Order: sequence, then C-alpha cells, then structure tokens
Amino acid sequence: MLELADLIFIMLGISALLSVPATILAVISRDLLKALIFSALQSTMYTLMFFLLMAPDIVLVYIAVSIGFMSLLIILIIKKVGRYERY
Amino acid sequence: MNMDVELINWIVIIIGQILITIGVFCDFVAALLMIRFPNFYIRLHALTIGSIGGAVVPAVGAALIAIGSPFLGTFRWFLAGGALVVALFIFILGGAGSHAIARATYRAKIVEYRPCYIDQLAEDIGEDGC
Amino acid sequence: MESWVINFLTIAMFFYIASFLLYIVRLLKGPTISDMVLAIDALGYDLAAFLIILSILFRNPILIPCSIVLTLWIYALDIYVAKYLEAKEMSE
Repeated sequence: MLELADLIFIMLGISALLSVPATILAVISRDLLKALIFSALQSTMYTLMFFLLMAPDIVLVYIAVSIGFMSLLIILIIKKVGRYERY
Repeated sequence: MNMDVELINWIVIIIGQILITIGVFCDFVAALLMIRFPNFYIRLHALTIGSIGGAVVPAVGAALIAIGSPFLGTFRWFLAGGALVVALFIFILGGAGSHAIARATYRAKIVEYRPCYIDQLAEDIGEDGC
Repeated sequence: MESWVINFLTIAMFFYIASFLLYIVRLLKGPTISDMVLAIDALGYDLAAFLIILSILFRNPILIPCSIVLTLWIYALDIYVAKYLEAKEMSE
C-alpha cells in the first residue's frame, strides 16, 4: 500500500521530468509564441512542485511573475520584433 | 445531539464524493477527447467539458467534503469558502477565455473552418460563407 | 470517517495525474498555436481543482489561495494571446 509521502515524491518526480522537455522546446523553438506557451507549461509544472514542497508564499509570487508579467512583457516584445526567428 | 451532527456530516460527505466522482469522469473523458478530436473548433467542446465538468463540479464537491469533515479543524470553513470562490471564477472565466481564443482564431484565419455547414459570422462581416 | 475520505481522494488523484499527462501530449504536438493555448487552459483549470483536493489531503487549509491566483493568471495568459492574434489581423 502506498503512503501519502510516496505519492508526493512520485508527483514531484513526474512534474520535474515534464518540465525538462518543455524547457528544451522553449529554447530550440523557432516560433517565439510557441516558446512562450512552452515556458508557461514549465512554470505550471514548477507551481505544482512548489505546492507539493509546502511553499504557498512562493507559489503566490511565482505564478504572478512567471505566467502573468513575463508573458505580458514577451508578447509586447514579440509585437515589436516579429513572431518568427530568422538568422 | 451528537448523533445528528455525525449523520449530517456523513450525508454531506457522500454528496461531495458523488460530485468528485462525476468530475473525475468528466476530466478523464475531456483529456481523451482532447487527443481524439480532429479540429480546433471541435476541441473547444473538449475544453468546455474539462473546465466546467472537470473543475467546477469537483471544486463544489471538495467544498462539501471540507464542510463535513471535522478532522480538518476550524479552518475548514475557510477552505470551503475558497473552493466555492474558485468554482465561481472558473465558471465565469472558462467560458470567457474559450470564446476569446475562438474569436481571435477565426478572425486571424489560423485554422480552416471545415466541415462547414453554415457560417453566419462570415455573412455578417460581409464575406461569403461556405 | 477520516480514513474513508483520505482513501477516496487518494484514488481520485491517479485519474487527475493521468488526464494531466494526456493534456500535455496534446500541448506538445498541437499543430497550431490555438490548440496549445487550449491545452494549457484546460491544464490550468484542472490543476486549480487538483490543488484544492491536495490541500484537503495535506490537512492544511491555509494552502487554498494558490488555487484562486492560478485560475486568474491562466485566464490572463489566454487573453494576452487572443489580443495578440486579433491585433495582428487588425493592423495588416
């Protein structure tokens, strides 16, 4: 029978493993808007990790900065620069 | 007196568990349909199942469970109120967000609208429909 | 009563994790940008309901404001992307 602590560690491992391909895709993606969505997936996974580690104060700040303000700033920059990366 | 409180707690917990069971079922079905559906405009239906059936109903059920379980302490009323506020927010914002993203997708012509049987928005704008 | 509630919520947790994985599959392979926004929208709302269940499981009701904040900011991300797509259509 699984204890609750084992389940917490299993969920920590799953969310940490899922944040790795999201970060890699956000780095190598040519479409900057898709990179923004992958970055939002990574911050959502980190939200679950911070919640499981019993840090609700960090969750309150991290969601506002990482999903709210960072995506707002990046979309404002994408409007100026253009959506597709070219070099 | 004590038996009555115990009975009411059990009734409230059973109702909450039925609601959470419905919510888990809707959530799993929405996740499967999000994989299986072929088109963006059809996937909006899966989002509605996932947000209303999969998030509002379990939030109300969790509020009822928190009301009926005394082992959580006095702060269980705080948890129940917070869960009801979350249910209200998702009930309003889920529909508003899906309408906004569908309208933007249609206006920007990202996804082709197919299969198309009737298209009254294009007739209102001035373009020809199907 | 306590063990009954805890066992029920522990079983319900597995289905939530399975549906999170299926949503993430759609997010990683979505053909257009709208499908990815749709997937992360559903993921965020379901995660908000999941955090309430977790705060009952932890017997710690103080953790509930995380769920309210997560709901509001996921909606904000949705509106940002919709305004970007529509503004691009308006100007060009």
